Amino acid sequence: MPSSNLYTQAVLDHCRAPRNFGVLASPTHVADGANPLCGDTLRMELRCEDGRVAEMRFSGDACAIARAAASMLSELAIDRSDRELAGLQQVFIALVGGKVAGDDRLGGLNAMRELANHPVRQKCALLPFATLRAALAGLRSATTEGIE
Amino acid sequence: MNAVPSEKPKPERFDPLRYRADFPLLARRVHDKPLIYFDNANTAQKPRAVIDAVDRYYREFNANVSRAVHTLGEEATSAYEATRDKLARFINAPSRDEIVLTSGTTQAINTVAYSFAMPRLKPGDEILVTTMEHHANIVPWQLMCERTGARLKVAPIMPSGELIAARFIEMLTPSVKLAAIVHVSNVLGTVNPVRDLAKACRARGIPLLVDGSQAAPHVPIDVQALGCDFYALTGHKLFGPTGTGMLWARREWLEAMPPFFGGGEMIKTVSFDKTTFADPPHKFEAGTPNIAGFIGLGAALDYVEAIGRDRIAAYERDLLVYATTALKSVPGLRLFGEAPHKAAVLSFLIDGIHAHDLATLLDHEGIAVRSGHHCAHPLMQFFGVPATARASLAFYNTRDEVDRFVAAIGRVRKLLG
Repeated sequence: MPSSNLYTQAVLDHCRAPRNFGVLASPTHVADGANPLCGDTLRMELRCEDGRVAEMRFSGDACAIARAAASMLSELAIDRSDRELAGLQQVFIALVGGKVAGDDRLGGLNAMRELANHPVRQKCALLPFATLRAALAGLRSATTEGIE
Repeated sequence: MNAVPSEKPKPERFDPLRYRADFPLLARRVHDKPLIYFDNANTAQKPRAVIDAVDRYYREFNANVSRAVHTLGEEATSAYEATRDKLARFINAPSRDEIVLTSGTTQAINTVAYSFAMPRLKPGDEILVTTMEHHANIVPWQLMCERTGARLKVAPIMPSGELIAARFIEMLTPSVKLAAIVHVSNVLGTVNPVRDLAKACRARGIPLLVDGSQAAPHVPIDVQALGCDFYALTGHKLFGPTGTGMLWARREWLEAMPPFFGGGEMIKTVSFDKTTFADPPHKFEAGTPNIAGFIGLGAALDYVEAIGRDRIAAYERDLLVYATTALKSVPGLRLFGEAPHKAAVLSFLIDGIHAHDLATLLDHEGIAVRSGHHCAHPLMQFFGVPATARASLAFYNTRDEVDRFVAAIGRVRKLLG
């Protein structure tokens, strides 16, 4: 398959074997994310301790890009405060939008840089972060609309 | 010269490659691969004749219609109004005055919603639609229901994607004041038995609107034979420019309906005390229309008629059978919509592969298919899926393209499966 810079080994690996996929027994924060463009849904469940994410699980029916992004995000989010995650979200939006080429703070999520060349798929990758932030803000739901 | 024995001329074999050459865009490459355009139900490509007609209007006789008396105005008006005649012939309308030119199907349906349905509906009344409607044939009716206290009723379909016609007819109860149905489903390809449904509606005095967006490019249309009250279609799926479309309605309805938009072009006289409106169809055509677009649509109708809609339909039927067989050979592929009478639309999913991923990876191979809900959320809910991939074919598509499409799906399965 040519030109699948988007579906890199890292992305495919996270998609096939997503980290932290599932639900939590007693989450402190839960939000459902939806991408109205495609009908994808993603649930984020968090357990926070002292204002930091202690555990995170995601579930739902979403495309490979959204699943991989959620899986990569779940590795990044642990031990972070909402404020730190807000900062990382801005960096990630800049990465996906092609405004920065990469940033060490994003860890595995740097694999999503190729989305700069796929404008219509960018929201797929942004949905997990938006849902995570919604959960931390105490909101029950989030959509990809108005993320930019 | 010897007399030639009179023989019935042999029907010419349909050669898609011959027509393909009329579409400049089909020659382009995408991701360095020859383009395979399988998104015709979304919008169709335009033949050179259409592009040239639009270009010629702007270069040679650009002027406003129905008001300028100078030469350019007359030429523009005559070319623009010729499309109304062509549309009337295209759907076999009894009169050109029953053809309202609109920006597309959506505006056509909204015109009926606001000008026909809204003044008539009362609390407790019902509008009957089906599970397989496009949002354009759902949302305008919901808006009317909100305003009037009427209720939307939904006739069910079978898992094969066929309408349960008997149920639809049973649901035509006295409280139903309007029925609205898609002629050909944009997701399933199902061709609905509009003639039978219209007969049942007429017997009960219920006006029937038909959404012909997907039907127009694929099946011959005769509104008199169908027996409906309203027929809406869009130009851009019919190889014409975007922003063009049509509402056909029986004359008595058009005369009874108040205007939808007010403005220039739709009046007889205006004073601050009293304005009188133009006769239909102009009563519904406020403001300067998409003149270039309708001139282009006229060229598109000429183009399609020159090939012959029966020949197009026959070729597409053959291509659909070929594509259906080929797709069914793909392991784990689920096809949505297997009505015996269907147009060349193939909605499908492959186990474990999301429609968007499939569409992105096919695009890398130069293949354009749609993925998503196809503006038919309720239908997706019926099938219990968030989205499907959809290949929709036109007469310029070929068996070779189908083969390359199926081979590419195989490669996507290998990557993501």
